[in-house]
Amino acid sequence: MWDDYLFPQSVEEALEVLHARDGEARIIAGGTDLALQSQGGRVQARVMVDITRIPGLDHIEERDGYVYIGARATHAQVAASPFIQSRGGVLAEACGSVGGPQIRNVGTLVGNVVNALPAADGAIGLTALDAEAEVAERKGWRWVPVAELYAGVGRCTVDSCVAMITQLRFRALGDGEGSAFERLAKRKALILPILNACVVVGLEDGTVERARVAIGPVATTPFVATDAAEWLIGRTADASAAAEAARLAAQAAQPRYSLLRGSAEYRKSMVEVLVRRALSRALAQASGEEGGNADA
Amino acid sequence: MSTRVLGQSVPKKDAATKVRGSRRFPQDFNMEGQLHATVVWSEYPHARVAKVDTSQAEAAPGVVKVITAGDVPLNEYGIIIPDQPVLVAEGDKVRWVGDRIAIVVARSEGAAREARRLVEVEYEPLPAVGDPREAMKPDAPIVHDERGDSNVFRHVKIRKGDWEKGFAEADVVVESYFVTPYVEHVYMQPDAGIGYIDEEGRVTVISSAQWPDHDLRQIAPMLKLPQEQVREIVPAIGGAFGGREDMHVQHLLALCAYCVRQPVKMVFDRSEVMTRTGKRHPWYVKYRTGARKDGTLTAVEVEIISDSGAYASTTVPVLEAGTSFAAGPYVVPNARVDSYAVYTNNAVTMAMRGFGTTQAALIYEMQMSKLAHALGMDGVELRMKNLFEDGSIGLTGHEMPQGVGIRETLKQVAAAAGWKEEDGHWVKPDVGAPSAPHKRRGLAVTCGLKNVGYSFGSDDKATVGVQLALHESGEIARVTVLSGACDVGMGAQTFLAQMAAEALGVDYEQVRVAMVDTLKVPDSGSCSASRLVWISGNALVRACREALKKRDQILMAETGETFVEAEYEFRGQSVQQTRPYDRETGMTVPHFTYGYAAQVALVEVDTETGETEILKFWAAQDAGKAVNPAMVKGQAAGGVHMGVGYALTEEYIQQEGVPKTRHLADYYVPTVMDMPHDFESITVEVPDPTGPYGAKGIGEMTTLPTAPAILSAIHDAVGVWIDQFPATAERVWWAMRGRK
Amino acid sequence: MPTLSLILNGKEVSVEVEPGDLLVHVLRDKLGLIGTKVSCGEGECGSCTVLVDGLTVTSCIYPALKAQGREVTTIEGLAKGTQLHPIQQAFVDVTAPQCGYCIPGMVLSAKALLDENPHPTEEEIKKGISGNVCRCTGYYQIVEAIELAAQRMAGEGGAP
Repeated sequence: MWDDYLFPQSVEEALEVLHARDGEARIIAGGTDLALQSQGGRVQARVMVDITRIPGLDHIEERDGYVYIGARATHAQVAASPFIQSRGGVLAEACGSVGGPQIRNVGTLVGNVVNALPAADGAIGLTALDAEAEVAERKGWRWVPVAELYAGVGRCTVDSCVAMITQLRFRALGDGEGSAFERLAKRKALILPILNACVVVGLEDGTVERARVAIGPVATTPFVATDAAEWLIGRTADASAAAEAARLAAQAAQPRYSLLRGSAEYRKSMVEVLVRRALSRALAQASGEEGGNADA
Repeated sequence: MSTRVLGQSVPKKDAATKVRGSRRFPQDFNMEGQLHATVVWSEYPHARVAKVDTSQAEAAPGVVKVITAGDVPLNEYGIIIPDQPVLVAEGDKVRWVGDRIAIVVARSEGAAREARRLVEVEYEPLPAVGDPREAMKPDAPIVHDERGDSNVFRHVKIRKGDWEKGFAEADVVVESYFVTPYVEHVYMQPDAGIGYIDEEGRVTVISSAQWPDHDLRQIAPMLKLPQEQVREIVPAIGGAFGGREDMHVQHLLALCAYCVRQPVKMVFDRSEVMTRTGKRHPWYVKYRTGARKDGTLTAVEVEIISDSGAYASTTVPVLEAGTSFAAGPYVVPNARVDSYAVYTNNAVTMAMRGFGTTQAALIYEMQMSKLAHALGMDGVELRMKNLFEDGSIGLTGHEMPQGVGIRETLKQVAAAAGWKEEDGHWVKPDVGAPSAPHKRRGLAVTCGLKNVGYSFGSDDKATVGVQLALHESGEIARVTVLSGACDVGMGAQTFLAQMAAEALGVDYEQVRVAMVDTLKVPDSGSCSASRLVWISGNALVRACREALKKRDQILMAETGETFVEAEYEFRGQSVQQTRPYDRETGMTVPHFTYGYAAQVALVEVDTETGETEILKFWAAQDAGKAVNPAMVKGQAAGGVHMGVGYALTEEYIQQEGVPKTRHLADYYVPTVMDMPHDFESITVEVPDPTGPYGAKGIGEMTTLPTAPAILSAIHDAVGVWIDQFPATAERVWWAMRGRK
Repeated sequence: MPTLSLILNGKEVSVEVEPGDLLVHVLRDKLGLIGTKVSCGEGECGSCTVLVDGLTVTSCIYPALKAQGREVTTIEGLAKGTQLHPIQQAFVDVTAPQCGYCIPGMVLSAKALLDENPHPTEEEIKKGISGNVCRCTGYYQIVEAIELAAQRMAGEGGAP
């Protein structure tokens, strides 16, 4: 399967190895996707560069109003973090629904992003939070919006043979802001979703000031319902607003028939249901009805 | 009758080794110098094999031999008729993707898996037929040309009374079309084992199995050896559910050992188990039920088309059994039933928990639920009006034998779930408010029955032996039970030990059950048909009596012997004679005896998504005499688990014989989170006069009422009938919107 | 071949492995610990569950070298000689195991749960084994066993 398995001690060292092996080496984090893909012959690289022992990549913390999550953070750690629960609740909920406990203990949130599947719960949550990823390459490090990392199904713009994501960040949610995650799947654990919806909202005096709605899988990449979000701005935060925004989101989404996920019509209808439910919860949270986000 | 060891939830004989992980399953064995084998599977569901070139594979690193059809002394096998090739030869056909072309034997598993890719097979693809209804049409591709020009190979007919008159007398007629899915067993332990030549030159196989002696009856002719020169050892079985009744690896391992004369190990990966082994038969059903307005059934008319897949396997007995229960545990004076077994290029369909009676329960209980709704009658009440009692005449014109516990079972489960009986009327309890405005609650009750043991004249028998080691005083020191009964997980080792302890008057701890090794234990028949408690139990109890007699004789004669051995062959036909179906009327005495179950489901349906959640579930089962109550409870829970999957989540998908469901990730077995939140198990004991201590089988019965209970509860909640299963969220959603 | 050194069931162990070896195969084939089972080979069923530094992982998709220097606990590491671990004993007492194939994984998931949360609710227990598939038991007696084990380990006694 592989010819070598390495533990670099720094990001720089990892990038050096990638460079030296010239396409033969790639980054591995938890390996929950990669091990299977390698067995199936779908991974070209022969050298695995395991980043899970690099110091300084295991943080979940706040700095200057932003939440930073290191590349080593597992789904379990993100889901269990009281900090994420209060500063970016949708992400905690999303990470808590991936696979089962064993997968969540090993699989990393960053790995979920790099794997670039449109059904990935964590990635949809990050998209809703307008998160950014710090991409490290030998030629330089830069921040890139998570939403721009998707080149297609299973294809991330970050080439794991050349670069790695060191951390994620998003603006911490505070008073007057709320977020929620809704998921539809064929059973209640150990399964990819038919659909998930992640929303983030911000209110000022009962009026929506900020909104972002991310959905997957309805396209080859995470889908951001911009029409629905734009419509919400300036509206009174109530049930009818949630309903109309959900309707707009469903209108914009164009899922197709899938043997695995169902008919186009059902999937489109479920977009309306899940977005409406997520918006209702997020708006309630933002209004302080459901114990909103904690202050620092 | 009060008993001492029977009826106690004693710790299972194999529990300690299983919690330690020390109990060895077939893949946990390794032998010195063992080789590894992999199978070259057919790439097409239907094709002629034009050429097989093994030269590159044979030259690959580590390869010892590539076995092909020419190496098989007699290239055929099958659980009932030998219609399956062990390996398909050049010039012959593959009929499904589970047909095998070759076996690669190499020094390591990796080398074997690499080398099998180098076996070159040229196919001439043929049109494949993936729907039995299509396969019945005159221009359909013929799967077995050697058997004639039709894919239909069995037609069971039942003609009882005057069905036209029966429907004329009916005030209400309910008509439905049902489609039940292909289901995968998903036993957790993948097929695996080792084949080797033992010290006395026997071709020996270590494997899991459900009927080792019957495996040998296929392996011996395949190798043209007398049966004494083949041997099977079954150390532990990681679940079966009928899925190991047909051989998947045993004959292949025997063939490997025979060819290379060294130990050969083979382990299927989950994808091979999923796509290359057998499934539960789907049924395509047209069902009409007629009843008077007081609820009395007057007639049923049923047509069942059953997909046999590429080979016969046990399709005929499954169809015959299922058909005999087409009308359920109800008195129906007039009936017309036609059932068809049809070949296709789909996966071979075979035994699976219920053996045709599961599909039958799904359809007759959905009909009863629909009828109750059409009559405005309570579900318990309608059923009680028609349910069997001792002596009731069944669908095939036979008298139900003593011990018909279904009324008692239904009564107990209904009462537990809150039904009240008032002057012969049954009143359903209030289900309470739903947990959210977009949800609806529903409650429904169902019941079912199944035969214990084989049917239709089969000479079902079990031989069990017992050995007593005596103290000088003649008191029994230790007991060994010798039985070919396979413990697939339900606890055969344990209940046999309990019965022996009871029958011999010793402690449970003094009894040991020998490992199943055909060299050392007698043929007790298969672990199937919920028969082991009843038939092996009956044999065991009589063997114990014989052993005690011999012990007493020794004491009287004062010989000083300290070892006694006895064996008994119990034949089901000795307590109840059964016969094959009459070819024209279907009238017969089909089965020895029966087991019964009744269940209630409380569900909540999300009207916006179509999802069904099961809030609470009650399962009652009549075990006759619960040998080990905790084990019976385990069977109830396990049966319900499979029923939940059958109703809501499980579907094995093929398109024209090409599997679409390939990995466990694609096949949705319920996790703990998908099970009913609350579960109550009620064990009823209506003794079976023919059973040991009144015990009867229970392992399959507990899965029969589950799916229809859930589906009927969905109707109670949201007013829709789902006739194509599983009732996935999307299917329920469409039904609520009036479309399919 | 690289050497994998780890603390396996409390003992320091070193074994030569291929770079691409998965942990389950090293445990079963190189170290002879057959208690860890392979069922799906995809990380989808939990039968292969072992503990790495106290956390459950599906060893069938866990690269062996990832465990370098870690503490790994397999099912063989729970009993002390003839004395079963309280979780194992509770499983026996409640008649939880049927075929037994999922049981080592279930027991280890239970251990990880109770080590972190000694007084779990029924919901928390279910969530703790939500990554372990069983085809025989319907899970109820397994949940009962874990509840009983929790009571006993907390010193509250309890009969099955």
